[in-house]
Amino acid sequence: MSDDVRRLSDELARDPSSRVFVPLGEALRKQGQLDLALKVTMRGLERHPHFADGHDLLARIAVDRGDLERAFDEWDMVLRLAPGHAGALRGMGFVCFQQGRLPEAEEYLTQAAAAGDEDEGVALALANVRAARRPAGSPSASPASPAVEHRSEPRLPLGTAHDPRYLFADVLTDAEQTALLLDRDGLVLAGAYVAYDGRDVAQDVGAELSGVTDSARRATRHLALGEWTSIVFETEVAVVAMAPSPSDGLLVLATSRSTPLGLVRRLLDRCSERARKWLGGRL
Amino acid sequence: MATPFASMLDGLTRQRGVTAALVVSERDGIVVDSNLQIGQDGDRVAALAASLYRKARLSARAAGMGAVSFMQLEAPGGRICAVGGGALVLIVVAESAVNVGLVRVELLKAIEGLSAAGGDA
Repeated sequence: MSDDVRRLSDELARDPSSRVFVPLGEALRKQGQLDLALKVTMRGLERHPHFADGHDLLARIAVDRGDLERAFDEWDMVLRLAPGHAGALRGMGFVCFQQGRLPEAEEYLTQAAAAGDEDEGVALALANVRAARRPAGSPSASPASPAVEHRSEPRLPLGTAHDPRYLFADVLTDAEQTALLLDRDGLVLAGAYVAYDGRDVAQDVGAELSGVTDSARRATRHLALGEWTSIVFETEVAVVAMAPSPSDGLLVLATSRSTPLGLVRRLLDRCSERARKWLGGRL
Repeated sequence: MATPFASMLDGLTRQRGVTAALVVSERDGIVVDSNLQIGQDGDRVAALAASLYRKARLSARAAGMGAVSFMQLEAPGGRICAVGGGALVLIVVAESAVNVGLVRVELLKAIEGLSAAGGDA
C-alpha cells in the first residue's frame, strides 16, 4: 500500500463523512485496484450523492473497467450537478469517440475546451476527432495514405502548428492514438500521451520509461543482436510501441488493441520520421 | 533437481528459432530457472529484460492501460520476448526469423503455468 493510500485511508477512517474518498478512490484507480476504488467511491457517494467530483471519479473507474455506457451516464450526472464540468465534457467526448459518435465527440470536446479545460489532451483529441471526421476520400483520412508532408490541408487547431505537443497530431490516424518523444532522461520533448480518460500523462509515462533505451541497447549488445529497432508491448486496452530516436531519445506510440500490428509499425515509422525531422530543425 | 519450470522451459526452447528461455524475478532480475544454449550467459540478459518489462508495466500503469500481457524487443539479429506472471517474468530470446505469433501464443499459455507454479508469490 502506498503512503498516499495509507494516509487517505486513515483520514477516511477517522471521518467517514469526509470527501477524501475521492482522492483515495483516484489513488486506488491509478494503482489499478479498480474493485477497491469502485467500492470506496460507491460508499462515498452514498453519503454525498450530489458530489459531482465523486461521480466524475466513478465515470473514470467505469472507463478503466471498460464500461463506457456507465461512464457516460455518470458524466451525464456530473453535468446535471455541475453544468459545464470540463472533466465530464472531456470524458463524454472520449466515450462518444470510442462509440463512433464523432459529431457528438467533437461537440463535447469543443465544449470542454470552451469551458477552460487546459488539459492538452483535449485540444489534441479534438484535432484527431476532426481529422477522423474528414471524408474517406480525403488524402489524409486513410491510414494507408502517404507521408504527411504531401498533405495539403492543415489538420491542427489554429495556433498549435508550432506547439511541440502537437508534433504528431497530423501523423496519427484517430483519437485513440497518441505519441510522445522523450529525451534520454525520460523528459518530454514533444507530443502527448493521452490516457483513455483524456488526461495527458506524458510526464508520468516518461518517468517510468526513463532508461529504456539504455537497457534495450545493453541487452541487444550483450546478445549480439545489433542495435534495437523497436519494442512493442500489449496491455489490456492498448498496444504501445517504442523506437529509438536521435541523441538516445525514445519515441513512444500508443494505439488501441484493435489496431493491426502492421499499422502500428507503420505509424511508428511515420512518427519516427517526424521526430527526426523536428529534432534536426527541418520542420 | 528439476524445478517446476523445467518442462515449460523445455517446451519453449523446442520452438524453432528460440535460443534461450528464462524465468526471472521481475523485481531484481535474478534468474529463477533457465534453459540456455552452451556458452550463453543468462544473468545479464535476464536482468536487462526484466528491467524492460518492469518499465513497460509501470508506464502502462501510469497511463491507466491495465496489465501488460506481452512484450517484444526487435533487433536485426533477433528478438527478446517476455510475458509477466505475478512476480515472475518469462523471457525468450529468439532469432529474427522466428514465428513470433507462435512464440507469443506459447508464452501466453506458459504464463498460466508460471502463475500456478509460484509466480504470484
